[in-house]
Amino acid sequence: MLLKIAWLYPDLMSTYGDRGNIIVLEKRLRWRGIEPIIKKIFISSPEEELEDCDLIFMGGAQDKQQQIVNRDLKKNKGKILKKMINQGIPGLFICGAYQFMGRYYKAADGTTIPGLGLFDFYTESPGLKFKRLIGNIVIQPSIFTLNTKFIGFENHTGRTFLGKDVKPFAEVIKGYGNNGKDKTEGMIYKNTVGTYLHGPILPKNIELADWLIEKALERKYKKKIVLKKLDDQLENMAREFIINKL
Amino acid sequence: MIYNSSIIIGKIINFLITKILKRAGSTWPGEIALSLDNNFIKKTFMTNHMKIILIAGTNGKTTTASLIKFFLEKKGFRVFHNQEGANLLNGTASSIIKHIDVDGKLNYQAAIFEVDENTLPLIVKEFEPTAIILNNLFRDQLDRYGEVNTIALKWQDSLKKLKNTHFFINADDPLIYYLSKSLQGRINYFGLEQTLMSKKEITHDVDSIYCPACGEKLLYYKIAFSHLGEYICLKCQFASAKETFSLKNPKTNLLGKYNLYNINAASLLLSKIFNISLSFIQKELINFSPVFGRQEKLVYQDKKITILLGKNPAGFNQVIEVVTTNSTQRNILLVLNDRIPDGRDVSWIWDVDFEKLIPFGKNIYVSGDRVYDMSLRLNYCLKNYQERKFFSFESLKQSIENIVKETKRDEEIFILATYSGMLETRKILLKSSIPL
Repeated sequence: MLLKIAWLYPDLMSTYGDRGNIIVLEKRLRWRGIEPIIKKIFISSPEEELEDCDLIFMGGAQDKQQQIVNRDLKKNKGKILKKMINQGIPGLFICGAYQFMGRYYKAADGTTIPGLGLFDFYTESPGLKFKRLIGNIVIQPSIFTLNTKFIGFENHTGRTFLGKDVKPFAEVIKGYGNNGKDKTEGMIYKNTVGTYLHGPILPKNIELADWLIEKALERKYKKKIVLKKLDDQLENMAREFIINKL
Repeated sequence: MIYNSSIIIGKIINFLITKILKRAGSTWPGEIALSLDNNFIKKTFMTNHMKIILIAGTNGKTTTASLIKFFLEKKGFRVFHNQEGANLLNGTASSIIKHIDVDGKLNYQAAIFEVDENTLPLIVKEFEPTAIILNNLFRDQLDRYGEVNTIALKWQDSLKKLKNTHFFINADDPLIYYLSKSLQGRINYFGLEQTLMSKKEITHDVDSIYCPACGEKLLYYKIAFSHLGEYICLKCQFASAKETFSLKNPKTNLLGKYNLYNINAASLLLSKIFNISLSFIQKELINFSPVFGRQEKLVYQDKKITILLGKNPAGFNQVIEVVTTNSTQRNILLVLNDRIPDGRDVSWIWDVDFEKLIPFGKNIYVSGDRVYDMSLRLNYCLKNYQERKFFSFESLKQSIENIVKETKRDEEIFILATYSGMLETRKILLKSSIPL
């Protein structure tokens, strides 16, 4: 078996250690004898390379990098992403990448940057007087069993508000999440997750890594997949150690 | 009058802290002096005529400052240096208080300040320095400093007001080079000699590989490390400087290309501002020893230990390059903390290429506040997860005892640590060790 993972804009959307998510997906496939193919999608890459993938990942970046990427997504890659997400291809979008998928981002100076409009949510920067939402975060994701808590680190100015039909990815236990007010964190649609969690999210929350892998394999091979168990003692210990410290 | 009383009160506080409480370098004396007289720093430098050097940049501040001080003192200059590493405004004020006379005289010919990214715009509002070194900008403690483009814009805005300052600019860093074009002061460029730019591929730890002028991807034809190199934008023709200064044939105990940048910055400044000849620098450089956790060598229980500070992806990758340049395997200890001076977010370790370090570790030990995060990072470098064999210790002391016990007499130990991890490591080692 093999799995093609699209890593969107690795040289631009890669400021906050989010590469760790790709490393984890790649290794957890390989350790199970499944061949990972990591397709780096650059501004210069043809759209077909993206279209051909079974799993999509994009990380967070600085404002300037996001503007460059936004211009490229507005061409054709955005439409292709929308099609892939609607087909149920699993995706993970972190921080700035998550914000792109909404209707718009309103910057501190009031300028509005239109998003891809894939989902009904928007993000607004409350202005320079307000603090960035920074710190360790603990969340309770909606898709896993009750006792699975996720941990990460958030660092964002934008406050995201979900439309009434958009499902949050998780409930905030400690930290800020989407906006620091309504206890929601991220959003989930079909097999796509948008979230503010750096850390990066996957190494210490491997349930999500395996969920993405499983969904991608099931879609590709059109059968029920049960992933081989790995020894995740250290992964779980790393997570517990930090949850207990907070 | 307020100025003089702020000196006296600051000195009393400093006395209480250092002599009575026996604590080192605190920012409290400066904090209090500034609260009594918020022009404290400005007044000090207006009344005392000395050359003021500011050193800014993500990496290399301490080593560059120490190099400048070393050569100036060799030439008989009296040098004031905020060595405490407390490089905020209150830290600067504190080091002034420590060195100033009660009547407001600072008896020095040169003052060197290591200035952190966010303090630089604030400090140049206080006074116009003689010279400023802008060494590099890399992602670092994003929870504390913010993003590099934001920092560059703040620097540009504040520095372009300085009319008489001499700037020493690392022209191999596209973002720094670009911002230097809007400065009015006198500009000098340093860089790395082209023949030493031997990297073939752009690594993952880069921040500025897109054109700062137009946003197009830069074409690199030479790479030193990270985004430092020689480059051109094919769309708007923005390109690296044609000529940059580098010291020829430096003989030095400092390892790594990052230190060559520090040496080149220091040498250029010393020759331009203090008229110190390059031949003198070339002759004396070998006598400069690494300082305080930056490739610092110690002997502990008969074992040779080198401490290497690494606090961000570009810096840590450079430290790994130093460790792996000599191809023998060694016992290595990695210390990852997440306190305020380290940055609370440890995500950055996934931007470091630990894959390159692992083949050079005989045994690899891990410790620090985020010991399991670091262990996890190392485990995800492996081909088979069954190979997991790193030694993790929640207690730093225990990890040091173990690595020392497992290391033979003639073998060397490398300790790679984040800032507070480095301080703690030194504290443990120095209780019964001697510097080499």
